[in-house]
Parts: sequence; C-alpha cells; structure tokens
Amino acid sequence: MTIKEAILAQMQLVAERQKKTLAPLTDDLKLLESGLDSLCLAILVAALDDTLDIDPFSAGTSKFPVTLGEFVQLYESHAG
Amino acid sequence: MRDERMRNVLVTGGSKGLGLGIAIKLASQGFRVMVLARRDTEALAAARVSATPGEVHFRPFDLADTDAIAGIVKSLHTEFGPFYGLVNNAGLGTGGLLSAMPNHEIERLIRLNVTAPMTVTKYVVRSMMAGGAKDGGRIVNISSVVAATGYSGLSVYSATKSSLVGFTKALGRELGPLGITVNSVAPGFIATDMTHGLTEPQRIAIDRRSALKRMAEVSDIAAAVGYLFSEDGRNITATVMTVDAGGTA
Ligand SMILES: NC(=O)c1ccc[n+]([C@@H]2O[C@H](COP(=O)([O-])OP(=O)(O)OC[C@H]3O[C@@H](n4cnc5c(N)ncnc54)[C@H](OP(=O)(O)O)[C@@H]3O)[C@@H](O)[C@H]2O)c1
Repeated sequence: MTIKEAILAQMQLVAERQKKTLAPLTDDLKLLESGLDSLCLAILVAALDDTLDIDPFSAGTSKFPVTLGEFVQLYESHAG
Repeated sequence: MRDERMRNVLVTGGSKGLGLGIAIKLASQGFRVMVLARRDTEALAAARVSATPGEVHFRPFDLADTDAIAGIVKSLHTEFGPFYGLVNNAGLGTGGLLSAMPNHEIERLIRLNVTAPMTVTKYVVRSMMAGGAKDGGRIVNISSVVAATGYSGLSVYSATKSSLVGFTKALGRELGPLGITVNSVAPGFIATDMTHGLTEPQRIAIDRRSALKRMAEVSDIAAAVGYLFSEDGRNITATVMTVDAGGTA
C-alpha cells in the first residue's frame, strides 16, 4: 500500500468510527471541509503514527497542511 | 499469551506511595497496569506476583527525560496494545521558600510535575486514539489540596499541582467526544516517602484541622482512582475529587 492509499484508508476508517460523512477525497480538498473535524484529524495523525510509524508533527512540522494533497506530500516527505 | 480483553493502564510513579496503592487497586479491578518509575521496589515486585485478576508490569524509566517519553509509551503500545487509561501520579514534592529556591530546582519541579505528565498524556492519548477508543478511556491526574489552598514553602509545587487542574478541565472537554474522562484527584497530606519530613507536631496539627480528625490514607486515594476507572465513574469528567478527610473543609 502506498502512503497515499494508507492515508485515504485511515480517513475512511476514522470517518466511519466517528460517524462523519467524507467529501470526495481529491488532492485539492481542504481538510477542514473533508467532513472530519479537528478531533478526527488528531485521531488520523495518531492512527498514521501507529500504522506507518510516521509522525511529521513530532518531527518539528509546525503548520498543519491545508489540503489533502499537501497532507499526503508531508507524509511522503517524512517516509523512509 | 496476552489477554486481548484486558485493558491497559499506565501508572507513573507506581513503585511506592500513592502510585503503588493505585497500581494494586487497578490490578484488583482487572486492569493490566504498567508502572513507570526509576527504580523497582520490593513492594512492587510483590505486587507483580500477587496481582489478580489483572496484572502489574514494571519498566524502569526517568520521566525527567521528556524526549524519551514518546519512545517508552510507543513501545508499551506495540507490546501490549492500545491504552485504556493513564494515572499521572509521579511527582516531586520539593519544598522551600521561593526566594531561597535555586532556579534549577524550580525547573526540575516543573519538568517532572508538569511537562512530563502532559507529554505522557499526549502519547497515551494517541495510543487510545489509534486503538479507536471504542469503549472510551480514563485519565486521572494526581493533583493536591495545596493547588487550591496554597501552603507556605510549597509555592512552586502548588503551582505545578494547580496547572494539572487546568489541564484536566481543558482535556476533559477535548476528549469528551471520544468518551474519555479526565479528572484530577486532590489528596490531602498522606503518609508516604514524600511527606516523611513532616514533624509529629505538624502531623497532629493536620489531624486536628481535618473534619474527621485524621489524615486520609493511600488506600483512600487508590479507592477514588478505582472508582473513576470503574463503569460507575463514566459520567464524571473534567472535575477534581478531593480526598483529605475534610482537611480543607
Ligand atoms: N503524599 C502526600 O501527602 C501527597 C499529597 C498530595 C499529592 N500528592 C501527590 O501524589 C503523587 C505521589 O506522591 P507520593 O507521596 O506517593 O510520592 P513518593 O512516595 O515519593 O513516590 C513518588 C513516585 O514517583 C516516582 N518518581 C519520582 N521521580 C521520578 C522520575 N524522575 N521518573 C519516574 N518516576 C519518578 C517514584 O519512583 P522513583 O523514585 O524510583 O523514580 C515513586 O514511584 C505525587 O504527584 C504527589 O505530588 C502526594
């Protein structure tokens, strides 16, 4: 599974568990308009840390990405 | 084989004093308790053997090493699975008049009593979230009555303990939607290593001031935490439970 696929799968899972309806997941979708609120995004970051062992936010990233595309790019740049 | 149904709980400073009492209590309620402290103790080793129906485990760890907290919590998560609960109990009780306190002592108190519990909480909450927090969760921060009353010679310590109260209230709101409760327990003076410096006259004065004419004990604090961790405690969050035999009444 690519990092992007893993992120999209986790977003589906979090939305399902938190009973949120996801918008179509395109690169330019703004995360705050994705249907996930800030708590859901925090859960997403925790779940990705667990499954991918990547945590850009503990590694010093100070700004939360705005769009889904930027979010995926951030994780790709911290992989490996 | 580890029992997947057993709920994992972290108790910092669970090697003696209040933390040990809390660890034993939670194990008796069926939790798998992980204790962090710098040194193992005979009493904790005995608790590991006799714990039932839950379990007690120990990992040596210095919480002052806040950069290593992420690593230890993640390794416990990997080994045992997601956390259900956390008791931030480890703390330093260094006293002294503020004007005479070395700056590095102020820093040390804040690091161990404030930065460490907040950082531990951050990573335990992540573990709870990664696990889906399906049945909610429990966080208890051990504050102190001096957070509200103050005590001469304990200004920095009192400040660290009231900071945990603000932390408790805000985090209780933040995690409420996940069914995770966050509370503080505020003990009055309890006879442990931390308070062994109390003189007999001071002890008598504390007894006399309390409504019940005695001090609360380790088992009383453990019972309060046990209650908050039980099903019965599920609708109590973002508050402070004072256990002091009426010392601040
Ligand atoms: N006793 C009281 O009257 C009273 C009243 C109100 C609130 N409290 C609070 O209750 C909590 C427990 O107090 P207590 O009286 O049980 O204290 P205690 O008997 O001194 O025990 C403190 C525990 O914290 C651990 N600890 C201390 N420094 C540590 C470090 N750097 N890293 C990891 N673990 C560390 C100790 O183990 P190691 O030394 O081996 O690391 C021990 O397990 C504290 O937060 C205290 O402020 C106590």
